[in-house]
Amino acid sequence: MSGAVQTALASPAGPARRAVRDPLIASLVGLCLAAAAVLVVASPAPYLVNALGQLAAFAILAVSLDLVWGYLGILSLGHGLFFAIGGYVCAMHLLADGVAATGVLPDFVQFMGWKSLPAYWAGLDHSAYAFVLALALAGLVAFVFGLASFRSRVNGVYFSIISQALVYVAMLLMYRNDTGLGGNNGMTGFPLLFGWPMGSPGAITGLAVAALLMLAAVLAGTRLLIGSAVGRRMLACRDDETRLRTLGYSTTRLKLGIWCLSAMIAALAGILYVPQVGIINPRVLAPDLSIEIAVWVAIGGLGRLGGAVIGAILVNGLKFWLSAAMPEAWPFILSGLVLLVVLVLPNGLLDLVALRPRPTWLRGAR
Amino acid sequence: MTHLTRRSFVGTAALLAAPALIRPSFAADTVKLGCLFSSSGTMANLEGRLNHVVRMAADELNGRGGVNGRQIEVVTSDPASDWPLYAQVGRQMLQQDKVAALFGCWTSVSRKSVLPVVEQNDGLLFYPLHFEGDENSKNVVYMNSPPASSVLPAVDYLMGQDGVGAKRFFMIGSDYVWPRTINKQLKGYWKSKGIPESAWREEYVPFGFSNFQTLVNQVRSFASQPGGQAIVVLTVVGSSIPDFLREFANQGISATDVPILGLDMVEADLEGLDTGKLVGHLNCWAYLQAAKGERNQKFLADWAAYVKAKNVPFSADTVIDPMVSAYDSVHLWALAAAKAGSFAVPEVRKAFAGLSFDDPSGYTLTMTGENNYVSRGVFIGSVNEKRGFDVLWQSPNAPKPVPFSPYG
Amino acid sequence: MADPKRSLLRAVLALCWLGLWAVPSSAAAFDRAAFAQDLCGDGAAQVRGAEDLVKAGGVLPADDLAYAGRLLGALAERRLTCPADGALLLDRPGAPEGHDALTSAVRPVADARAPVLGLRQRAAVETARGVVALLTGPDPATRGAGLSVVERRVATVPAAVLDRARDAETDAGLKATIAGLAQAAALSSPDPARRRAAIAAVAASPSGAAEARLTALKSDPAYTADPAFRAALDAGLSRVTRAVTIGDGLAVLYNGLSFASILFMAAAGLAIIFGLMGVINLAQGEFIMLGAYATYGVQEAFRRLAPGLLDLYLVAAIPVAFLAVALVGIVVEALILRHLYRRPLMSLLATWAVSLFLVNLVRVTVGTQNLQFIMPAYVSGGVPLYADFVVTWNRLFAIGFAAATVVLTLLILRRTPLGLDIRAVTQNRDMAACLGLPTRRVDRLAFGLGSGLAGLAGVALCPIYSVNPGMGSGFIVDSFMVVVLGGVGSLLGTLVAALGIGGANVLIEPISGAVAAKVIVLVGIILFLQRRPEGLFAVRRRR
Repeated sequence: MSGAVQTALASPAGPARRAVRDPLIASLVGLCLAAAAVLVVASPAPYLVNALGQLAAFAILAVSLDLVWGYLGILSLGHGLFFAIGGYVCAMHLLADGVAATGVLPDFVQFMGWKSLPAYWAGLDHSAYAFVLALALAGLVAFVFGLASFRSRVNGVYFSIISQALVYVAMLLMYRNDTGLGGNNGMTGFPLLFGWPMGSPGAITGLAVAALLMLAAVLAGTRLLIGSAVGRRMLACRDDETRLRTLGYSTTRLKLGIWCLSAMIAALAGILYVPQVGIINPRVLAPDLSIEIAVWVAIGGLGRLGGAVIGAILVNGLKFWLSAAMPEAWPFILSGLVLLVVLVLPNGLLDLVALRPRPTWLRGAR
Repeated sequence: MTHLTRRSFVGTAALLAAPALIRPSFAADTVKLGCLFSSSGTMANLEGRLNHVVRMAADELNGRGGVNGRQIEVVTSDPASDWPLYAQVGRQMLQQDKVAALFGCWTSVSRKSVLPVVEQNDGLLFYPLHFEGDENSKNVVYMNSPPASSVLPAVDYLMGQDGVGAKRFFMIGSDYVWPRTINKQLKGYWKSKGIPESAWREEYVPFGFSNFQTLVNQVRSFASQPGGQAIVVLTVVGSSIPDFLREFANQGISATDVPILGLDMVEADLEGLDTGKLVGHLNCWAYLQAAKGERNQKFLADWAAYVKAKNVPFSADTVIDPMVSAYDSVHLWALAAAKAGSFAVPEVRKAFAGLSFDDPSGYTLTMTGENNYVSRGVFIGSVNEKRGFDVLWQSPNAPKPVPFSPYG
Repeated sequence: MADPKRSLLRAVLALCWLGLWAVPSSAAAFDRAAFAQDLCGDGAAQVRGAEDLVKAGGVLPADDLAYAGRLLGALAERRLTCPADGALLLDRPGAPEGHDALTSAVRPVADARAPVLGLRQRAAVETARGVVALLTGPDPATRGAGLSVVERRVATVPAAVLDRARDAETDAGLKATIAGLAQAAALSSPDPARRRAAIAAVAASPSGAAEARLTALKSDPAYTADPAFRAALDAGLSRVTRAVTIGDGLAVLYNGLSFASILFMAAAGLAIIFGLMGVINLAQGEFIMLGAYATYGVQEAFRRLAPGLLDLYLVAAIPVAFLAVALVGIVVEALILRHLYRRPLMSLLATWAVSLFLVNLVRVTVGTQNLQFIMPAYVSGGVPLYADFVVTWNRLFAIGFAAATVVLTLLILRRTPLGLDIRAVTQNRDMAACLGLPTRRVDRLAFGLGSGLAGLAGVALCPIYSVNPGMGSGFIVDSFMVVVLGGVGSLLGTLVAALGIGGANVLIEPISGAVAAKVIVLVGIILFLQRRPEGLFAVRRRR
C-alpha cells in the first residue's frame, strides 16, 4: 500500500504534541455548528431537517469506520453491529420511557403475550443509564471480538470476512422474536423524547441539532486524537505493524483501544439515528449495509476524517434524492461512483478537491 | 483554504436543496398519489408490478374525469427493498409532494417503518397485503384480510370432510414476525378445538433459505407416523417457496400424500416450476386469477392491454391478489374522496363508513366505520398443471374482518 | 346314520359355492351411466364412484374397467364436462366438442362446468386410476406405474384386486412385487400364518410408513396372546427400525454431500482467485448467476434451433457458461482489478460495485422473474433407494458435477502449464516474476478460470435453485467461509472445508432447526479462525 504517500497526504507535518491545524476539519466543524444554528433559528421543511439529522448520524458512523480503516488499516465490514447495539439500546430506552410515562406496553410485547417488559430492560427508562449501557455494551462486544482477533494476528481481508460473518450471525439471531427485541419487525412506536412527543417539529429539530453538534464534537475529538502521540502510533501501526512491534510498542493494545473507541462512536451514531428514523429492526445488521459504510468512507476519502464525512453525506444524500427522482438509475450511479473513485481517485473524492488526481496506474506498478 | 469551505458548503447545500430543484412541477389542477413499492432489490419481482397497477387504476379514473374534478398524478419511487428508505421516501412524499394518499408496502417490516411517518403527518397508507393482523392504526387502510378471515377458513377446509380431515400439522415458515404470528394463532385455534400439542410441529428457516432436503425428509417421517392425515402449513416467503416445492416434488411426495397449504403462494411463485407433480397443493387469498365473472375477465384483459401498451416489464398473463388489492385501494380512495368532496385525510377517513366497491374478484368490498379494515371474500386455490391456481372453494360472501385474533 | 344329513349338507354347500360363483358375475353388471353420473356429481358422489370402482375392481370385466379408466382420466385432467344430457369426454381441456361418454357420439360443448377436484376426490380418483392401470395396462411399465399408485394407498384397496392382478400378470418381476404387496396387505387377516407372512412381507420393504404400521400392531390383542405372532412382530419391527435408521443415516450423508457440493462449486473459483491474487471477489455470486442465465440462453437457443435435442441443453451449456463467464471475468480483471493488486481492500469494494452493477443490469434487461427451465428426466424426480432414503436426480447431478469440477480443476492446476504458473505465482509472486513468468497474464487467466468455475456452478444449480437476478447474494458469506476455513490457495482445503461445513449444517439442522444450524456453524468457524487464521490447509508461502 502506498503508505508513505498516504501519511504525507493525510496530515501536514508538525510537532506531535501540538494539535495540528487541519482546515478541512475546522471548516466542517464550523459548518456543522452553523447548520445547527440555522435549524434553530429558521424552520425549514421537517423532512429536510430529518434528512439532515440522519445524514449527520451516518457521518458519525463513517468517521468511526475511518478511524480504524484509514488510520489503523483494519477494514471492518461489520460496523453495523455496533451501530445496531447503540440503536437497539436507544430504542429500548425510548420504549421503556414511554411505558413509564403512559403505562401502555409496546405492541411487540403484547404480541408475545408477555405481561411486562423483560427483566433485562430494567432501568432503561433512565436516559443516562441507557446511554452509558449502549456505549459500554458496544465497547464490550468490540473488546471480546477484537482481543481474540488481534491476539491471533488476524488481519486484512480475513478480518473483513470474519466481521461480515459476525454481523450476519447477529442478524439471524435478531430475527427471532424470543430475544424480546421485536424480532424482524423491530421496535417502533416511540412515543416520547425527553417529554416531547416524537414527530413534533421541536423533537425533529432538536434531534437534528443534537446530531450535528455531536458530529462536530466527534470530528474535533478524533482530530485531536489523530494529532496526538497515539495518532502517530496508529499511523505507524497501519504502515508497518511488525516494525512498530519491534520498536517495543504493544500493537495489540493500541489496536484494541482504538477498535473499542470506534465501536463506541458507531454506537453513538446509532443512538442518534434511531429516534430520527422512528424504528429499529435487524435490517441495520444486514451484511450489505456494513459494506456500504466502507463504500461511504472510500468514496469520500480514506484516511481523511473529513473525507469520511463528505462521503457519507454525499452517498446518502444522493440515495435519498435519487430514490424518489430517478429510481431506476440509483444502483448504476452508485456502482459507477465506487468504480470511479477506486480506480481514478485512490484517495477518494478529496483528491478532486485537492486537484491532485494521481491514480496508481498512471504512476506505474510498484 | 477558503475555497474548500465555500465549495463544500455549496456542495452540501445544493445536495440538500436538490430535491426541491429537481422535482418536476406538476400542473395545479392535479391530485397526487404516492407509491411506495420497490422496483429493485429482493422485493422487486413482487412489488414492482404494483406500481403499474396503481398507474393503470389512475388512468382508468382519469378517463372518467378524475376525482373531484381533478386529474390523478401518480408519483412512484424506488425504496430498493431498504426498509428505512420506505419511511424516508414516504416522509418526503407527504411533506414535499403533498400526496393525498400513499399506496405501499408489502412486508410487515416496511409497513411498520412507514407507520410512524403516516401517523406523525396524519397521512393515509393503503396497504394491499394480507398480514398478521394485531394492528389497527387510523392512518392505515388494511386492504386485505387478517388471518382470522383468510387463514382459518383454509385450515378449516383442510380439517373438514371436504378436505382431507387433517389432524396433524407441520408448520414451516421463514423466521420472522408474520409466520410466527400466523403459527401462534393457528396453535391457539387448534388448542381451542382440542387438538393435542403432539399433533403439530414448527420449524423456521432463515430468509432466502433453499436447502430443504432435511425438512422434506422430516415431513415425510412426520406424515408416516400414526394419528391422522398430516398437512404442511407453509409460511416461507420469496424464493424459498419454489425451492421448497421443487424439493418436495422431487422426493416423490404428492399433494394426495401430504398436501401443502402455502399461505404466501401466488401465481408468480410458480413461475419457473414444473407444476405437473405439484397439482393439488393449496393456497388462500382474497383473489385468484381463475375467479369467475366478467369483472375479472375485464380486469385481466385491461391488464394485458396495459402491459402491451406501456411496455411493462412483467408478465401480461399473471395477475396476483396484491395487484387486485392495490387496484381496489385506488378505487376505494377515489370513492371516499368523492363522497367526502375533499382530499383532506380526516374527511376522507370519515367517508369510509358504508363505502362499497365491486372488485374483479366478484365480491363487493365494504368498509364500516369501526376500523380501517376492508371485508374481502375468501378463495381457496388448488395448483394446476399450467402454473396457476384453480378455484377450489370460495366464501359465499365477504365476511367481516377481525383485526385482533381471538386465538393467542 | 349321519351320512344322508352330511351329504345333504355337502350338496347345499356345493350349491352355495356355485351360487357364489354366479353372484359376482351378476353383481358385476357395471352401471356405466350411474358411474358417469357419480363423477359428474358433487365431491361426495365422485369419491363414492371412485371407491366403489376400487372395491369392485377384483371382479369387473376388463372393458368396464377401461371405460371407467377413460372417464377417470378425463376427470383428473379436466377433460370431463357434465351437461344435462350426459357426460362428455374432451380431447383437451376447453375443446369445443367432445365424445359422449356412453355412446361416443360427438356433441358440442355447451358451456358446461368441468369440476375441480378437491384433495379427497383427487386421492380417490388417483387410486381408482391406479387400479385400472394395474389391471388393464397394456405393458409392464403402465402396470408398474399403476402398482406404485396402489401401493401408496394399499389400505383402501381390497385384497381381491391385488390377487386378480397377480394372477393375470405375465411379467415375472412385476408378478413378484404384486405378490409381495398382496401378502403385505393381509396384516389384519384372521389367518395367523398369513398375518405372520404379511409381517415378514412388510418388513421386507422397510419405510417409515411400514414402521408405523408394524408399531400399531403392537396394541393388537394377538400380540399378547400369540407368542409366534409376538416373535414375528418383534423380529420384523427390529428389522424395519434398523433399516429406517440406516436409511435416515444415508439420507443425512446424501444431504450433507449435496450441500457440500453446492458450497464447493460456489467457492472453488473464489479459492483460486483469492489464493492467487488475494482478491476477495464479492461478485462471485453474480458470476454464478450469469452462468445460470447463460444456461437459460442455451436452452432458448436449443428450443428455437434444435427442439429435438432440448433435453441436452444442460450438457451443452457447460462449455458455453464456462467460456461466457470466464470472458466476463477477464474483462472485469482487465478493466478494473488490474489496477488494484496492491490494494486488496479496494479491490474488495470494486468487486462489490461490479456485483451491484451486474445484478441491476440483469434485472433491467431480462427482468425480475424466476426463469422457466425445462427439467429433463435426468434432473427431475428421484428414486427411493433404501427405506425412506430418496436419491433426487438434480442433487445427484450437482454432486457429480462437483466431483467432475474437482478433477478438472486439479488436472488444470497440476498438469497444464497454466496451472504450474498459477501455483508458482501463488507461492511466491516476486520470485516467479524474476524467473520471467508474465504474472499479469497469469492473473488474468486465473481470474478467468475462477470466474468460469463460478459459471459452471451456475449450470449445476439451475435444476436446484430458482434463477433470478438476486440469486447470487445467498452464496457470498457461505463461500467466503469455505475458502477462508479451508486455507487460502488450497483447493483440497476448500473441498474439505465444504464437506465439513455442509455436513455440520445437515447434522445440526434436525436437532435445532435451520437458523440455529447456520448460526452455530458460522460461530464455530469464526472461533476456529481466531485460533488458526490461516485455515485448515495453508499453502506455505514466502511473502
